[in-house]
Amino acid sequence: MSRTTLGQAQPTPENTHTPSPKADPTEQESPVARTRRRRPGNRGPAGAALRTAHVLLLPAVLIGVYWAFTAQPGAGFYTPTPAAIGTAFVELWFSDRFFVDVLPSLGRLAVGFALAALIGVGLGVLLGLDARVRATIEPVLEFLRAIPPPVLVPLMIMLAGIDDTMKITVIVFGCVWPILLNTVEGVRAVDPVLSDTARCYGITGTTRLRVLILRSASPQIMAGLRLALALAIILMVISEMFASSSGLGFAIVQFQRTFAIPEMWAGMVLLGIIGFVLSSLFELVEGRVLGWYRGLRAAHRGE
Amino acid sequence: MRLSPALAVAASAALLATAACSPSEEGTNEGELTTVTAGVIPIVDVAPIYLGVDQGFFSDRGIDLELESGSGGAAIVPGVISGEFDFAFSNVVSLIVAREQGLPLTALTNGVTSAGEQGADFGGVFVLDDSDVNGAADLEGLTVAANNLNNIGDTTVRQSVRADGGDPTAVDFVELPFPDMPAALETGQIDAVWAVEPFASTIREAGHREIASNFVDTHPDLSVAAYFTGEDRLAQDPELFADITAALEESLAYAEDNPDEVRRILGTYTEIDEQVIEQMVLPRFPAQINDESVQTLADLMVTDGLIDSEPDLDALLP
Repeated sequence: MSRTTLGQAQPTPENTHTPSPKADPTEQESPVARTRRRRPGNRGPAGAALRTAHVLLLPAVLIGVYWAFTAQPGAGFYTPTPAAIGTAFVELWFSDRFFVDVLPSLGRLAVGFALAALIGVGLGVLLGLDARVRATIEPVLEFLRAIPPPVLVPLMIMLAGIDDTMKITVIVFGCVWPILLNTVEGVRAVDPVLSDTARCYGITGTTRLRVLILRSASPQIMAGLRLALALAIILMVISEMFASSSGLGFAIVQFQRTFAIPEMWAGMVLLGIIGFVLSSLFELVEGRVLGWYRGLRAAHRGE
Repeated sequence: MRLSPALAVAASAALLATAACSPSEEGTNEGELTTVTAGVIPIVDVAPIYLGVDQGFFSDRGIDLELESGSGGAAIVPGVISGEFDFAFSNVVSLIVAREQGLPLTALTNGVTSAGEQGADFGGVFVLDDSDVNGAADLEGLTVAANNLNNIGDTTVRQSVRADGGDPTAVDFVELPFPDMPAALETGQIDAVWAVEPFASTIREAGHREIASNFVDTHPDLSVAAYFTGEDRLAQDPELFADITAALEESLAYAEDNPDEVRRILGTYTEIDEQVIEQMVLPRFPAQINDESVQTLADLMVTDGLIDSEPDLDALLP
């Protein structure tokens, strides 16, 4: 069964008999791992300033280009200047709307993502460990996975109602797949030598799960979670486009429909910022969880 | 910030691309038709324009009318502004809001008008048959579904509540597409729905009870929607628009006088069930916008906070 759609984010290679996770310096390395490794050289104020410059340079250039575009006469109603967008941004999100529209959205996002992570990892471990269960369930999962969550919204309205439950279900249904499938692959790829060794030493049950299986699969699990996080943000917006009366997605659609274009842009800017912040937070967590793994790889590479 | 500038550039590129394609109008040689593109939502309301094409009211005036479908006002208005559509169809509330936001739109003719009869209009508010709700005032504290919020549906339903002696601010509105409404009503997710034909017929047929005719409560001759264009486009080619307006007026009059023809043409561009087409309540199609009803609607929009100040209707209305 091919996993090519998720493969690019999977840090470990196929299952082999060499100690896993095996180090392969040329491929399989996530860009995150690369920046992490170099970080020691970038410590100190100069390094921090450099990093900030790296982050801000391209956005500044893009905003500049866009500004120049909007500054020409007749640039149009639908492309307000960054100044107008900025004003709308401050007026909108530094007000009650933050509590009415943004916080509930983020809450649903958090709950949906957490549930997807629980279900994905739990079911993934189960499937990864048992080939027979996997053979039975996997075709169904592949089928369900191909269903775009938005088309399920009317059905979910009937089953789960029009409140938060429906919106969270949409998020969970959409972003559980990368977590689940990556966990299955990660668990399957547990090094058999390590596995046998653990068995010889009498490591079984939850200890085995904790120190061997989850640990060994964690690079893949984290890769799945990272994909799922991006999906969760998109699905948060989509779920609010149906049967809604509040939320960030609802607000953006509403602005678009009422021709409040700077406000619509301000909503999209906020979504982008949320995505950026969440991705940065995730990187921090990932650094902690996968610290051992990166150290191991660096050691293999002889650094 | 990572996403937004990228989006900005993509959007600007898309806008430049659309701006590059100028209106679909070619030079008019003698005997040749002028191609005109109209943006419509393929629903019951625009039957007259399909009839007009069918009956040759546009080609008689040298116009080859192409009808392009849009999903709603928010998608169609940008098409008019960019010149992709020469004119289009939208509800009056959206037009007033657009005008207030600084989009120079102007109406050509009326589009569709309330049937004017309590309990027999082309749109209404429905509850479950065994619901405690007997009038619009009973909607206080309940949840009502409308296809779009801050638009013509919820504005006129609030007026029904007000007219019935209730407090419209105590009604919660939720956005739900028309086709999903019956299920949400039956499972008790929502207490009432506002729907227009053909969905209203389906809901009636399912045994649900109509408690208010919100358009009629607002104004018996409520102009619900209109055909409109951009001011610049109108000034560019007044003769062409005189012809378009005349063709629209003839189409509307034909639809108004021949309801059977309206039902026939509905079968050609919609997927509505034949039986529903036979049963449903048709709107009226007068060519003239009822200015007084639009004024009423504008006042309600100010009261409900859809717009901040009294709009300049003279600029919008023909």
